Amino acid sequence: MTAGARRQASRFARPGVLVGGIALVAAVPLITDDIYYQNMAILTFLLAIIASGWNIMAGYAGYVSLGHSAFIGIGAYTAGITAQRWGVSPFVVAPLGGVTAALVALLLGLVTRRTRGAAFVIVSFALLQLLGLIARNWTSMTEGSKGLLLPLPTWSIAYQYWPFYYALLGLLLLSIVMSAAIKRSKLGLGLVAIRDDEDKAAGIGVTTPLYKSLAFIASAVLVGIAGAVYGYYVGFVEPGAMFDIVLSVEAVLAALLGGRGTVWGPVLGAFLLEPLSEVTNSHLGGSNAGAFRIIIFGGLLLVVTLVLPRGILPGATDLLDRIRRRDRVGVVGRRLSEAPVPQAPASRRADAGAASEVLLRVSDVSKRFGGVRALDGCTFDVPAGSITALIGPNGSGKTTLFNAIDGGYAVSGGQVEFGGRPITRLSRTGRTFAGIGRTYQLPRLFGSLTVLENVAAASGQFSLRALARSAVSGAEAARARELLDFVGLGDYLSARAGELSYGQRKLVELAQVLMLDPELIMLDEPAAGINPTLISRLAELVRALNETGRTFLIVEHDMQFVLSLCDPVIVLSRGTVIAQGHPSEISRDHEVVEAYLGEDYVPQPVPAAAAT
Amino acid sequence: MIELRAVAAGYGGGDVLQGVDLTVAEGSITCIVGPNGAGKSTVLRAISGLLRPRQGQITFAGEPIGGWPPARIIAAGIVQVPQHGGLFGDLTVRDNMLLGGYVIRRDRARIRRRIAELEGAFPIIRERSGDKAANLSGGQRRIVEFARALMLEPRVVLLDEPTLGLDPRASQLVFDSTQLMQQLGATVLMVEQNVRFGLKLASHGIVMERGRVLLADNADALLRRSDISALFFGSGAADAAPVEVVRS
Repeated sequence: MTAGARRQASRFARPGVLVGGIALVAAVPLITDDIYYQNMAILTFLLAIIASGWNIMAGYAGYVSLGHSAFIGIGAYTAGITAQRWGVSPFVVAPLGGVTAALVALLLGLVTRRTRGAAFVIVSFALLQLLGLIARNWTSMTEGSKGLLLPLPTWSIAYQYWPFYYALLGLLLLSIVMSAAIKRSKLGLGLVAIRDDEDKAAGIGVTTPLYKSLAFIASAVLVGIAGAVYGYYVGFVEPGAMFDIVLSVEAVLAALLGGRGTVWGPVLGAFLLEPLSEVTNSHLGGSNAGAFRIIIFGGLLLVVTLVLPRGILPGATDLLDRIRRRDRVGVVGRRLSEAPVPQAPASRRADAGAASEVLLRVSDVSKRFGGVRALDGCTFDVPAGSITALIGPNGSGKTTLFNAIDGGYAVSGGQVEFGGRPITRLSRTGRTFAGIGRTYQLPRLFGSLTVLENVAAASGQFSLRALARSAVSGAEAARARELLDFVGLGDYLSARAGELSYGQRKLVELAQVLMLDPELIMLDEPAAGINPTLISRLAELVRALNETGRTFLIVEHDMQFVLSLCDPVIVLSRGTVIAQGHPSEISRDHEVVEAYLGEDYVPQPVPAAAAT
Repeated sequence: MIELRAVAAGYGGGDVLQGVDLTVAEGSITCIVGPNGAGKSTVLRAISGLLRPRQGQITFAGEPIGGWPPARIIAAGIVQVPQHGGLFGDLTVRDNMLLGGYVIRRDRARIRRRIAELEGAFPIIRERSGDKAANLSGGQRRIVEFARALMLEPRVVLLDEPTLGLDPRASQLVFDSTQLMQQLGATVLMVEQNVRFGLKLASHGIVMERGRVLLADNADALLRRSDISALFFGSGAADAAPVEVVRS
C-alpha cells in the first residue's frame, strides 16, 4: 500500500497542482457571496476532516469505527459549554474540544485491548449512542434535548461565514498534513502492520498499545476542534444533530469512495459526496428528498464495492500500474548470488544471558485447549550459545511450545525463564524486547507492505523518537537490504509481500527476525519449502550468528539439517520431552526412532570427514 | 499428456513465467525443482486454471485448455492439491471426501463406489471417517487430500509441495501414496523443494530457473548430474551429513 500510495501521492499532489488547488478553494468566498456555496463548502470541509480522521483509525490501523462523528459532538459541546460559562468566543475554546475528543478516543483505544473486527464497529457505534444519551440527560451541563444556544458571531455581516470557512479549511489542511506525516513515519508503518496482523506486529517490536493510542488521538483531535467550529457555525447544539449516525456513515462512505488507507482518498471522497448530497437534497424528490438520498448513497456504496473495492485513488493507481507494466517481465527467483553471508554484528545485549549458562528454561509448562493437552509438563533447558533442535512428530506440540515461549499463548501451568528472569507474565512485545524472536511455520507477513517495509518494520528495541522517523531509512534500511540480499530476495524489495511464493515469504520472515537481532532466535521449520542450496547457506548463517553469541532453538523435520547443525537435540512427543542429547545419541535412541523416524528406518553413520 | 508451449503468466507485478516449454508424459510422475520463486507453483496454477496465462499454449491430451475456467479444467480431468490448508477443518473426513465429488454430487452411486474404492487404497478414510479433519495429524490430512483429489478419477493430479511441514514418517506416507495414485492411473505433476525426495519418487524431472525451464530429463539422470546438483540440490547433495537416515 505505502509504496503505491507514495507514487500516487507524487502523481496526484505535485506541488503546483496542490498550491493551485488550495488557492482556488481559499478564493471561493472572495469570488462568490452566495451563502449557499459557502455553506456547501463548509460542510464539505467538515466531512473531509471527519473522513480523514477516520482514515487514520480505520484506514491505517484497521479499526473501523461507525461513530466517528461523535468527536464532532464532543468538540461542539465542550466549546459550547465552556464558551457560555466563561463568556468567551467559541473560537477561543475550540482547542479544548480537541483535547476532550482526544481523551475520549484514548478511552475507546483501551477497548481495543480486547476487542477487534466487527465487535469494535459495534463498540464505536455504541459510544456514539452513549454520548447522545449523556448529552440528553445531563441537563445541568448540556441543557438536554432542549439544546445549547451558542453566542452569535461578533464580526461584521459583510464577512458572512468567512471565519468558519477559513477555520475549517485550515483544519482540513492540517488534517491532510498530519495524515501524510503519519503515513510516511515509522508510526504509520507500525499501524499498517497492526491492521494486517496485530499479534504478529506485537512479536516484531511494535508496541501496539502505544501505536494504537497515538493513532486514536490523532484521528480524533482535529475532528474535535472542527466540531467546536461547526457548533459555533450552526449556533445551536443539540444531541440529535450532534451525535447523528448519518454523519458517521457519510464519513465512512467518503473514505471508502476515495480510497481507504490513502492520504487523499478520504478528502476526494468528501469533495464528491457532500456536493452530491446537497444536490439530492435540493433538486431531487421534493418532499421525499431524504428517501432519495438514502437510495442514491446506498447505490453509490454498492457501486463502489463492486467496481472499485479499494476506492477511486488506489483503483486508478492500479490501472495505471497495469498499463505501465504490460509486457514487462516480473522479478523471478534467480540462482543465489555468491554474496557472502552477511556479517553478524556483535550482540547489543552483551549483559544478559552471558551471565547464566542456561538462556531459556522451560519448567513443567502445560497448555490445554479444552480437553486437549497440547503441552503436558514440558521441561527442558536451552543452553546459552547453543543451537538447540526441537524435533517430534506432527502434532507433538512444537509450535504450541514456541507460542508459550514467545507469549503468543498464556500457559495453563509452569514457568518460562529467559536469561534467569521469569517471563511468563511479560507481554509479547516485552519478550521481543527482552531478546526473543521467532518465525512461523506458515510465514505471517504484512500482505499490504512491501518486502523491504516488512523487514524494516521489525525493531528489537523501543524508542519513542523512532516513531516520528521516516518509515524506511538510514542504517535500518541498509541493514534490511543486506539481510534481504542474503536470503536472495534483493530483487524483490518493492514487491508486495502478498505476491510472493511460500518459500520466499519464509525467507522474508527470516530476514525480519534477524532484523530484530534477538538473543534467542526461534525458527519454526526454516528449511521447509526452501531450496536445498539455500538450506546449506542458511546453516552457514546460523553458525555465523551462533559464533557471535546468538542462541538458536530450531523446529525442523529435515533431519540432515538438524543432525549436522544442532546440539543438543530435544525430542517432543505428545507434549512431553521424551529424549534429549547429542544428535548421534538421539538418532540411535529406540524410543525416538519409533515415535518419530519410523520403525523401518535405521540410522547409518557416514564418514566423519563430511561433518562440519 | 500435458504440454506447455511458450507460456507467459504472472500476478500483476509482471510475468513470472517467461516462456515455459514443458511436457508431462502420460502415466509419469514428473517433479519440478528449482530455486525459490522460479515459477514452479505458478506453472501448476497456470495448468489448473487458477492463473490465466497471458501468452502461449497449454494443451491437455491434445486439447488447448489455456484460459479455461478452473471448474472446466477439473471436469476435463486435472485436479490440484494445494500447498497447505486444503481440507475443511470443521468438516469430517467423510464430508471432505464428499466435497471432492461435488461436481458429480447427483450421481450418488458413483460417489459411493468411488469412496469405497478409495477406502481400499487409503484405509484412513474409513478409519477416521467421522473425525473432524482438524483433528488429524499433518500427514494424515495430506493423505485425505490426496484421496479427495482422486474422487473424480482425474487423469492428472497436480501436487504443490506435498511434504511441506511433514515429519519424516508422514513424508514416507506421502511417498507411498503418490506412487499409489500413479498406480491407480493418474499422471502426477508435482513441485517439491525436498529435491532428492522428489526426484527419487519421480520418473521425470524438470529444472526451472528464472521463469523458464532449464532442462528436463529422467529423474535418475538429473540426480546424477553433479553440475545441476551443485547449483540446485545443495552442496554435495548425495552424502554431506554426518548421520544420514536411510531406509533399511
